[in-house]
Amino acid sequence: MDKQVNNEIMKQKIMVCCGTGCTANGGRDVYKAFLEQLSSISNIEVLPMVKQTGCNGWCEKGPLVKIMPEDITYCGVKVADVGEIIDKTLLQKQVIKRLLYRDPATKKHITSHHQTNFYRKQHKIALRNIGEIDPGNIQDYIDRGGYQALQKAFSSLTPQQLIDEIISSGLRGRGGGGFPTGRKWQACKDAQGSPKYIICNGDEGDPGAFMDRSIMEGDPHTVIEGMILCAYAVGASHGFVYVRDEYDLAVAYLKKAIQDARIHGYLGKGILGSNLNFDIEIVRGGGAFVCGEETALMASIEGRPGEPYDKYVFPTEKGLWGQPTIINNVESWANIPVIILKGAQEFKKIGTAGSSGTKVFSLVGKVVNTGLVEVPMGTSLREIIYEIGGGVLRNRSFKAVQTGGPSGGCIPASLLDLKVDFDTLTQAGSMMGSGGMIVMDDHTCMVEVARYYLNFLAGESCGKCTPCREGIRALLEILTRICDGEGQMKDLDLLEEISSTMQEASLCALGRTAANPVLSTIRYFRDEYLAHIKEQRCPAGVCRKLTTFYIEPEKCNGCGLCTRNCPANAIVGEKKQFHVIDNESCIRCGECYRQCRFDAVQVM
Amino acid sequence: MFITINNRQIEVQTGETILQVCRRENIFIPTFCYHEAFGGQGACRMCMVEVKENGRNKNRLVAACTYPVTATIEVFTESDRVQQVRRTLVMLLKRRAAQDPYIEELAHKYEAPLLPKLKVDPQGCILCRLCILACEKMGKSAIWTVLRGIDKRIATPYDEETDECMGCKACAEICPTQAITFLEDGEKRSIWNKTFTLVSCERCGKPYATREQLEYMREQTGYETAQICEPCRKKTLASQVEKYQN
Repeated sequence: MDKQVNNEIMKQKIMVCCGTGCTANGGRDVYKAFLEQLSSISNIEVLPMVKQTGCNGWCEKGPLVKIMPEDITYCGVKVADVGEIIDKTLLQKQVIKRLLYRDPATKKHITSHHQTNFYRKQHKIALRNIGEIDPGNIQDYIDRGGYQALQKAFSSLTPQQLIDEIISSGLRGRGGGGFPTGRKWQACKDAQGSPKYIICNGDEGDPGAFMDRSIMEGDPHTVIEGMILCAYAVGASHGFVYVRDEYDLAVAYLKKAIQDARIHGYLGKGILGSNLNFDIEIVRGGGAFVCGEETALMASIEGRPGEPYDKYVFPTEKGLWGQPTIINNVESWANIPVIILKGAQEFKKIGTAGSSGTKVFSLVGKVVNTGLVEVPMGTSLREIIYEIGGGVLRNRSFKAVQTGGPSGGCIPASLLDLKVDFDTLTQAGSMMGSGGMIVMDDHTCMVEVARYYLNFLAGESCGKCTPCREGIRALLEILTRICDGEGQMKDLDLLEEISSTMQEASLCALGRTAANPVLSTIRYFRDEYLAHIKEQRCPAGVCRKLTTFYIEPEKCNGCGLCTRNCPANAIVGEKKQFHVIDNESCIRCGECYRQCRFDAVQVM
Repeated sequence: MFITINNRQIEVQTGETILQVCRRENIFIPTFCYHEAFGGQGACRMCMVEVKENGRNKNRLVAACTYPVTATIEVFTESDRVQQVRRTLVMLLKRRAAQDPYIEELAHKYEAPLLPKLKVDPQGCILCRLCILACEKMGKSAIWTVLRGIDKRIATPYDEETDECMGCKACAEICPTQAITFLEDGEKRSIWNKTFTLVSCERCGKPYATREQLEYMREQTGYETAQICEPCRKKTLASQVEKYQN
């Protein structure tokens, strides 16, 4: 290969997504294959060209490979494709159609991921760098405007001005509570006592939620910069990043980032020549979901069992070791540098009056495009699920979306046009939570969904206070009873009475919201509860004791898919003739119901 | 500073909890997990009261045992909301300790419906955690809660006999529902999977403490004292005072 070709390649950047989803699908192997195969072409220095990045959010289509500056995105790349990409795309400037994303609606191939509906509708602030930089390289972050907010704050803002900026931006805590971040900082600044502490809450535990993980893994420096800005504003000397123990990659990148930040003078004594001393320590969580609750988290850092305590005195006054403490979620921290750099007014233009800025959602469940989605507050559920998410899998009908993690609520189809922000979700009986969004189709039993979440919470409540511990236990018993066909009408009243006390009397937010799955499903899907109790029937065909499947002869064309998938050999029928389910041997697993392409399998 | 409780003006000191004020003023608030030696835990939630705070539109329920009074507030200890919460809580706790007379009394007061009894181990424990605090106060912390969620219970580490336990049974004595069982036959005491030798009082001959307990006291105080039980010690002291007066 001659030198000119080498230079041509050198200008190109190959960015391989090595987020958790893509890594699971072999993204790291693809990255290594690029390194190896490029270095074997000639002895050129390949490292600057091939980069591993954090999660692009489009996990459904991973591993993703982006080629810049041409802006080509390849989906589902395997190690075997690497040679062809080098040959055709890098050397001959040809696009490999086979690896491009194909829009399911228009059937057209799309070259750049920026043109897909999944990305076009998004507005990235917290996720701005993720997928664009190597998270292990501080220079990448600096090249994209990193640590400029810090320079700006030190040179032109007093601590009070910085806090005023955050207050006027209207930023609300992204961990779920939605408390105004600026007011929290002001309270901590005004509080007596030294030292003051700053905590980053990275104990993300909601099933199906991975936005904090992606930020910590894909852009750790933004979290660090946000925390330094806060330290400057409130006068703190020590910070902690509390990371969920399972997040190995996040811990590794954060460690590297903290070391690099120290070397560059962003952390340590006399930051950037000022008199601010601030350093950050990583604390790995102990594996309890409840440690995401701030008082339990602080107890955990102190080395005590992860149990919450009443915070009638806010942590901003008495927090970690009884000292004034700021605790913010990963996504909140990621917003701070942008607000300071671009100004509160710019930030406020995005979102709604009560909730400014964007929110990252992890869109999962029965939706075509699963992944991370960052949209302005006030975007409707319909836009998120149908336009960005591409609608419900296999074109089934949408039944509900569960938002806010296990103690969030289920929102029905009638509210699809709800403009999502902190207040609208709460009014709808759910909550923002950390931003989990689980899409459910018509094959989902809402009673069973409530039971599932209560079962999760039964194991994850800390068990300290009576309403949460005993309330969850009682709710779980009653829901199990209903799913087993032993429910009574008075059970509904009992569910509501216990739920109401849990909301009123529980010690922490976990207990206060734990009944949301029950209350929201009773509110929007009462008919399903009634079907279980009065008619002894599970309309969705999920609760085994209440389900009988049958095959509608007119719809069945005898393809045999159900017979092949039936684990109990309970379906009989000749080829191209309609099939029949033998109810004696049927174990009600619902596999035929899920598999049938012609809706021939029905619930009695 | 003055606050009102059930429309009555009461003078309080900043930082006092609502429960402390109510106990002083003989205002009834039921509690399970509160003991004045340890302060509030906020665990049982029976002491929830309704509070009207300045600057908040809505009244809120707070745990009287952990809520420090720092501003002028109005407190309602038996409002409908409060009664509803207590009714449900008693209903839920009665499942764990059906035989307890105090729970029975509260169930009657708040007209709590009856739910089926729970099969929890040990029967009768309402997880008020007073035993943990008593053990901690004795200086040993031999027991703590184990597990999470609905499986939470009080135990020694791994349910095994532990060096920390000195058999003082402070845990059993403070337990409001007598859920901590122990066996005693005049010579030995068995508690928390461990058996202790009892020491008898040199005056009256009654067994009054375990050997480990006296050993621990010696370690802590540095004094070798006569082996005398509490009542006999008081009698001796009283007779000395009598002598002095004469």
